[in-house]
Amino acid sequence: MTAEALTRPVRTRLAGLDPVTMLAWLIIIIALFIALAGPFLATHDPMMFSAEMNEQPGNGHLLGTDDGGRDVFSRLMVGTGLSLFYGASAAMVALVLGAVTALIAMSLGKPIELALFAVVDLVRALPGILFALAFIVAFEPGAFSVVLALGVSFAPNFAMITRATYEQQLAQPYTAAAKVLGAGRGRIALIHVLPNIGGALITQFAIILPRCIVSESVLSFLGLGVSSELPSWGRMIATATPYMEEAPHALLAPIIMLSAVTFALAIIGNAQRQRLTHTTKRSAI
Amino acid sequence: MSPHHFRLAANIGLDLLRALGVAVGIVVFTFFVIRMIPGDVVDVRGIEGSLTYSQQSAMREELGLNKPWLTQFLDWSGMILTGDLGQSARFARPIADLLGAVLPSTLLLGATALAIGIVVGVTVSVLAVLFPRSVFVPVVDFITIWSITVPTFSIGIMSLIVFAVWLGWIPAIGNFLVPALILGLDTAGSIAKALHEDMREVQTSEFVRSARARGVSHARIVLRHILPNALTVTIAIIGLMLAGVFTGAITMEVVFGLPGLGTLTLQAIKGRDYAVVQAIIIWLGVTVIFANFVADTIRKLINPRLRTI
Repeated sequence: MTAEALTRPVRTRLAGLDPVTMLAWLIIIIALFIALAGPFLATHDPMMFSAEMNEQPGNGHLLGTDDGGRDVFSRLMVGTGLSLFYGASAAMVALVLGAVTALIAMSLGKPIELALFAVVDLVRALPGILFALAFIVAFEPGAFSVVLALGVSFAPNFAMITRATYEQQLAQPYTAAAKVLGAGRGRIALIHVLPNIGGALITQFAIILPRCIVSESVLSFLGLGVSSELPSWGRMIATATPYMEEAPHALLAPIIMLSAVTFALAIIGNAQRQRLTHTTKRSAI
Repeated sequence: MSPHHFRLAANIGLDLLRALGVAVGIVVFTFFVIRMIPGDVVDVRGIEGSLTYSQQSAMREELGLNKPWLTQFLDWSGMILTGDLGQSARFARPIADLLGAVLPSTLLLGATALAIGIVVGVTVSVLAVLFPRSVFVPVVDFITIWSITVPTFSIGIMSLIVFAVWLGWIPAIGNFLVPALILGLDTAGSIAKALHEDMREVQTSEFVRSARARGVSHARIVLRHILPNALTVTIAIIGLMLAGVFTGAITMEVVFGLPGLGTLTLQAIKGRDYAVVQAIIIWLGVTVIFANFVADTIRKLINPRLRTI
């Protein structure tokens, strides 16, 4: 970063963002606010059934009611936090699992590297949702198995990135110098590579997070999600789908929320990735 | 055999070995993970009340579910090797029949989506490079961003609300065209992203500059020099995307109420029919691995620099 970029006031740096990215950040901030304040924003008990089934919006229910007479707005407010939390946990599990596996594989030498990356290849070959399905039925549906299943199925993305960065760092003169000085693979992995993969991992996290959120919704939609009672977006979508003719609002509310948040996250992740490839390309020259 | 051919053969042979290894891994992994599921198909039918206790144990005996896991595994892998996928306990039919009944519709959906994706993706990318000031450049940007940011799951449900409920243009259950278009556009975006980026990169290379200096026309440069060089990446992307297209097809089937692999998977999971779930995962996994192997081989045939030995 140049001195000029550091001293530039914050306002112009914000103005440098294009309108789509600004919209994306706005959506994220609103979603985070709802996630944290959800229980206080809810106007009704999100779990309470009532006789007013599939009511249109208005009439004391801001977004109407669902097939069980539950208030859609309140469910949405509480569900936002749940969906974001499960999605973020899954992406975090994937990051840690993938990065740690790759670092261990790279530190312990070629045979172990080949063996561990064969496992990575295996997970990569199975279509994600199907892998998660098998995993979840094996460990009983529930929050824990959903997060773990998605974490494992997305871990290869992080493992591949870590290995690529490791190899990139290994080609740098300073790691070569460290090697000459007698540093082993493990030391190089911990002292030299680990501090340098942060950016790549964060970018990958931004790309994987929306996919985890969507996957959690798809799993809930298929009836294998976190819980049949908690109003995560996917669960709301699943319960509203059979009634989409009578109560399209009950389906539309969670699907718009899901789409807006995943759209915003993907826009930011993509911008981040582009920035990273630009800077690495420039610094390579 | 020249050393060149020998190295190529060794390369492909090594890839094949690796693909086989991963396939065996999938078979073993699937068997043991599925065995960890508490309760079996006989339990489910017992709870449903359709079997008495003695009938249940007779059924376990017949299905071999009371033998130790290792024996079950050896029996079963022997069967798989001979191409016999076993019997579905829930549907009381051979699994091969069940798969055979649903595969055509899933394959049709996946293949249609892939065809739409390849045709649209390659066409708009090539047109965008051929005519750099035309509308095709924003079109490439649009479908690229679309495929990155809009998951097929949410767009599928939204189009159900709009086209089936509000406009009444399509039936709410069993529409084929809309899911195929949604998956196709998604695929087109991924292809266009890779192909367009790559073509633009090749455009700046030395041999393109020298061709330009020799007075070769822009169209000829794009079609004869840039496109063939960029295609290897696209072939690899298509191989890698196959898993995604299948996953998408499975989700779309459930959303749009189409019969197929997705619907069968769900029924099998809910009925705890391990044997069917197992067969589906293995079939899909092996298909994807094989497709990746073929894509890899084609790339290595086209571009010798990619060969690892």
